[in-house]
Amino acid sequence: MSKVIVVTSGKGGVGKTTSSAAIGAGLAMRGHKTVVIDFDVGLRNLDMIMGCERRVVFDFINVIQGDAKLKQALIKDRRLENLYVLPTSQTRDKDALTKEGVKAVLDELRQEFDYIVCDSPAGIERGAHLAMYYADEAVVVTNPEVSSVRDSDRVLGLLNSKSALAEKGDGSAVKAQLLLTRFDQNRSASGDMMSVEDVLEILAIPLLGIIPESTSVLKASNEGTPVSLDEKSPAGKAYMDAVGRLVGEQIEMRATPGEQRRGFFQRLLGRTA
Amino acid sequence: MQSGKSAAQTVATVKPLQIRGRTFTAIALHLSGRPDRAFFEALEARLNQTPLFFDNAPLVIDLEQAQGLDGPQDLVHLAAELRRRKLSVFGIQSGTPTQARAAAEAGLISLPGGRDAALERVSRQGSRPEPAPAAAAKEPANRMVTQPVRSGQTVFADRGDLVVVGSVSSGAEVIAAGNIHIYGRLRGRALAGVNGDASARIFCHALDAELLAIAGLYRTSENLGPDTPRHHVQVYLEGEVLRIEALA
Repeated sequence: MSKVIVVTSGKGGVGKTTSSAAIGAGLAMRGHKTVVIDFDVGLRNLDMIMGCERRVVFDFINVIQGDAKLKQALIKDRRLENLYVLPTSQTRDKDALTKEGVKAVLDELRQEFDYIVCDSPAGIERGAHLAMYYADEAVVVTNPEVSSVRDSDRVLGLLNSKSALAEKGDGSAVKAQLLLTRFDQNRSASGDMMSVEDVLEILAIPLLGIIPESTSVLKASNEGTPVSLDEKSPAGKAYMDAVGRLVGEQIEMRATPGEQRRGFFQRLLGRTA
Repeated sequence: MQSGKSAAQTVATVKPLQIRGRTFTAIALHLSGRPDRAFFEALEARLNQTPLFFDNAPLVIDLEQAQGLDGPQDLVHLAAELRRRKLSVFGIQSGTPTQARAAAEAGLISLPGGRDAALERVSRQGSRPEPAPAAAAKEPANRMVTQPVRSGQTVFADRGDLVVVGSVSSGAEVIAAGNIHIYGRLRGRALAGVNGDASARIFCHALDAELLAIAGLYRTSENLGPDTPRHHVQVYLEGEVLRIEALA
């Protein structure tokens, strides 16, 4: 049974595309056939983060409008056997997306892929709405900062009311989980940044992972490599842990992934670990 | 394209029409005695201080200090003079029954006692035959929400109490004709007794509200004061004062 996962946040610049690429790559590394779709029509970035921008010929919008077949638009990753990218158009805008078109493409992808990761644009308008509309699960990317948390809260409200699952009205809902990115433990401890508890208290959804602020993220983006492929980077490890949890594994929440440091997060997340 | 848009609209439209309580802000003009030449000169001087500020501002004439002003012609004249100065006068308040009748003839509505703030608010839409009788005839319907109320969401219990099992986020709004009970933290706005029920109350486990209102009288987080109890509180009206009290 394939799953459509939307990576969304409301606020821009919190790491949706980076997270989509890292989660997509992580799922593929685990052997799941995965496609990552860029819903940010007009501000095409996913292909660059995933290092395939020179190979884009046809895009998501071409497929929706029937100008190209899905197979022509899908780009197979050169590093990972199971990873595909469906890039979007840089020249069109979000009005080119239609509910029927998105549904048709997702239905076709469901035939072939285990995981369909939808990289949502920022905001709550058409692009973001259609990215989340057909989702089974949501990864809500949030920075430990008040405006990001409030926007995530807004997005969670929309997931609960304006998604296809919610509109069925039979009690089914999009399963939303929190991915806290750009987290700096020292700044959080000193009170500069919101704590994990504060964010969880406001958003009241399960925690999928904590991605530490790391220089390797920017470096990986510029190189066009999903950060989860960087085994040495703490952020890469944190993403791999999050992917493990996403597919249902019980993985301990670690402050600095890869190190067995007992403390804050174990206490906090002792119940899930 | 077109079909996509109409589909989105169908999804968004739940009911063909909705009737909601709404609070408006208007300015009140307090008269003392008959409006004479000196009055209009003073008014002009005041309006000239802030030339655009009052342009087309909704305005209510407060007649508490102007008992003698009760002829329809007086009010027609006054309204015309005010409108000529770009003030959108639409009603009177604190008038005697005679003044209320005169106002009706002058095409002004008579408002039940609003309260002066820095600006005057009008919490109810006058004495128009709105659907109030139909609504009153129906059974009260309480509403229960078992999920957190998220930022940007509005939950409205139009004919009874509202119970929220969970928190109300900053930027969210919970509104009820009756009481509001929140089993969680209230960070957003809560408006109880929106149809004018001054006996309505708000209860919450933790208070961090942006705005609290009962029967149109409100307080915002800014004027709650530092000694306001924050845990297990009830909010109620005592006369004209919105009280916030810890539950024993």
